[in-house]
Amino acid sequence: MIEPNQIMKERGQFRAIAWLRWRLFANGLRSKRARLELLSQVIVSIAFAIGGLGGMAFMAGMTFFILERGKPELIAILLWIVFFFWQLFPIMATAFTNNPDSSELLRFPLSYRSYFLVRMAYGAFDPATFLGSLWSFGILLGVGFAKPSLLPWTLLVLLMFAAFNLLFMQLIFAWVERWLAQRRTREVLGILFVMVMLSLQMIGPLTGYFGKHARPEVLKFVESIFPVQGILPPGLAADAVAQALFSRFMTAFSSLALLCAFALIIGYSLHVRLRAQYRGENLSEVAAASALPRDRSLRLGWNLPGFASPVAAVFEKEIRYLLRSGPMLLTLIMPVFVLVIFRFGPMNSARHSGSFFARTPNLAFPSAAGYTLLMLTNLVYNNFGGDAGGIQFFFASPVSFREIVLGKNLTHAAILAVETIVAWMGVSYLYGRPTLDVTIATLAGLLFAAPLNFSVGNLLSIYSPKKLDYSTFGRQRASQVTVLISLGLQIVVVGIGAAVFWVARHYGNFWIATVILLLLAGISLSGYAMILGRMDHIAEERRETLVAELCRA
Amino acid sequence: MEAAPTISTRGLTRRFGELLAVDGIDLQVSPGQFFGFLGPNGAGKSTTIKMLTGLLAPSSGRIEILGIDLTAQPVEVKRQIGVVPEGMALFGRLTGSEFLNFAGRMYGLDRETAAKRAAELLDFMQLVDQPKKLVTDYSHGMQKKLAMAAAVIHGPKVLFLDEPFEGVDAIAAGTLKTMLQGMIARGATIFLTSHVLEIVERLCSHVAIIQKGRLVAQGSLEELRAGVEAQTPAGLVDNSGDSSVNGARPSGEKMTLEQIFLRTVGGSHPTEQELSWLG
Repeated sequence: MIEPNQIMKERGQFRAIAWLRWRLFANGLRSKRARLELLSQVIVSIAFAIGGLGGMAFMAGMTFFILERGKPELIAILLWIVFFFWQLFPIMATAFTNNPDSSELLRFPLSYRSYFLVRMAYGAFDPATFLGSLWSFGILLGVGFAKPSLLPWTLLVLLMFAAFNLLFMQLIFAWVERWLAQRRTREVLGILFVMVMLSLQMIGPLTGYFGKHARPEVLKFVESIFPVQGILPPGLAADAVAQALFSRFMTAFSSLALLCAFALIIGYSLHVRLRAQYRGENLSEVAAASALPRDRSLRLGWNLPGFASPVAAVFEKEIRYLLRSGPMLLTLIMPVFVLVIFRFGPMNSARHSGSFFARTPNLAFPSAAGYTLLMLTNLVYNNFGGDAGGIQFFFASPVSFREIVLGKNLTHAAILAVETIVAWMGVSYLYGRPTLDVTIATLAGLLFAAPLNFSVGNLLSIYSPKKLDYSTFGRQRASQVTVLISLGLQIVVVGIGAAVFWVARHYGNFWIATVILLLLAGISLSGYAMILGRMDHIAEERRETLVAELCRA
Repeated sequence: MEAAPTISTRGLTRRFGELLAVDGIDLQVSPGQFFGFLGPNGAGKSTTIKMLTGLLAPSSGRIEILGIDLTAQPVEVKRQIGVVPEGMALFGRLTGSEFLNFAGRMYGLDRETAAKRAAELLDFMQLVDQPKKLVTDYSHGMQKKLAMAAAVIHGPKVLFLDEPFEGVDAIAAGTLKTMLQGMIARGATIFLTSHVLEIVERLCSHVAIIQKGRLVAQGSLEELRAGVEAQTPAGLVDNSGDSSVNGARPSGEKMTLEQIFLRTVGGSHPTEQELSWLG
């Protein structure tokens, strides 16, 4: 029995936590950037509201239609949609960044009951819960319009379904939190996440490509898994509604009971996890030290012939950073991945007459190379983002910023070179080897576009820096200003490239493109050299902003 | 003839908008001195050290390190100094060995020397046991030791340390102190800020105290002690009977640095009447 005094204390704590969340939000609005972020959040919230209300109307319409057709078991499809959205969206939206850690509240004399409730309250205010609830309400409305007598029962079933979803979402987060507490597991989880996302993108093209041949097998597979879904929560919830419709109340009740059992099991699992957190489990970032035998061999740094030692040191550091950044590496494989998607996409298969690259294979390599450059945007336009506090080292060291930036740009150029070679091989394999004139024209195009991107990127890296954590996914974009300018520049560059290639194609001679692009490359390289020469002065001017922004905790 | 100062500032000033963080300070640090720069929180210590190391531009005033004008020849000055700034300035996604190699080369060492010194420093700092561990996974104390190693890898003549002992355990602190005393013995000059007054008292030969951006005391510990003792009657004890508070001193005993500091900055401990509900 909880004493009234205890309840009063808990209420006070809840009010304090609510106030804390509000102050964190309000204080976060003090900077201009935060206010701009709020504006974008408002826009996103409007989109959410539209999605929620639209989804609700869709769910209501579909439920009504399904019930009118006398196939209530198909409600399962709608509930599976709700379930997947409710569980997947929070992971995608937060994208593995560190969320406000509710376990920090444990330093206060919070009872376990209060801690559990706070966690559930955090979940209840999640956008996924908001949308999931709205869509479920849509299903309820559909049932209400089609079979008003079933409304109370459906309400009960959907409430239990919502409780299950809320508990399950919190359970996932409790585990994700545990994994995210350690850098290595955070990276592994991040890579798995991107793999899943990439795989999902492949479903469409691959089913389009293989669909015709494998349709009977696919149908057989779907038929075999359909009964299995019936014993899982969305299927059980649908069954509880459908059976009630046919007045099979015992079966309906047993389905609801099973759904309750699922909710209880998930609730208990969540309780076990939160209880462990509440008791103060150790989630140290660092695993217990395991002493390795001392390695006495000297490891020499890299050498870049023709470049000063600091330039080579920066180059080596940048490459090591990239190789240890799963998210960045995955970004860099995207061009090849996109080529594969284009190749197997239903509308772009070489077997179809409508295929763009099948009709114009000469444009496949320039397009892939352009996309490669696009993928470098995150690195090029926020050069110092990953250095964080290390920027102070650059300023304290006796090395000119010109050399530091040159080292970084050499890394970008090396990545671009490797990616271009891989893209060339990919295009050769998927669409046929690009002709020599197209290859040379594309390289000339890169010689124009890369220094231009590097020049603007170097300036934006200093004028509009943003700290990045290479080990995490999501919310790792550059500042809004950088995004807008880089987007504008890419449109200009791609526009010029496309126009030049169009002219060359019109005259049936790609060497024309090479000449024009080499001329542009000359201008672009001169601009790059000029800006690089002024790097020390610019960095000196922007020193405080850079240090303040990148050393921010 | 007195040697030219290693660190010299004249009218060093820094404003942040309306706030005058450092207000025209004139510092003189002689060669071979272990110099402690003290002050209450927000007094301007870190701002000063940032300006002295080229991490922050002064609003006005002049800085000379080893007789070289920092504003005119920043690279030349940076070549001769080592810095452990407030945030430690580490690259988290390198291993300790890679970071030291990198630091050595950025300070102009050739590849072989950088690698050799990196290995020696890792050994000295007892950081060699986990060669594949990334800096981001180091404990705070390990990061401090690594930052210190990176600051000295090129054998600087002047070392600037911003709170080097903050969050460092006794063993690591002992390692750092040994290294710093060795540097002083070999003629280097060390300029450090610290809140741990016992450490400053034990290590530093000279001290300056900054308060609200102004230099309020500067000199050897003895000079500072003499200055403060002249203003404090011997035997004065505060209400609590604790002679260590409020800068009071029992007769016949030397004033500690904490007492000198408290007397100089005018700090006082709260009386027992305040927060009487505690305990």
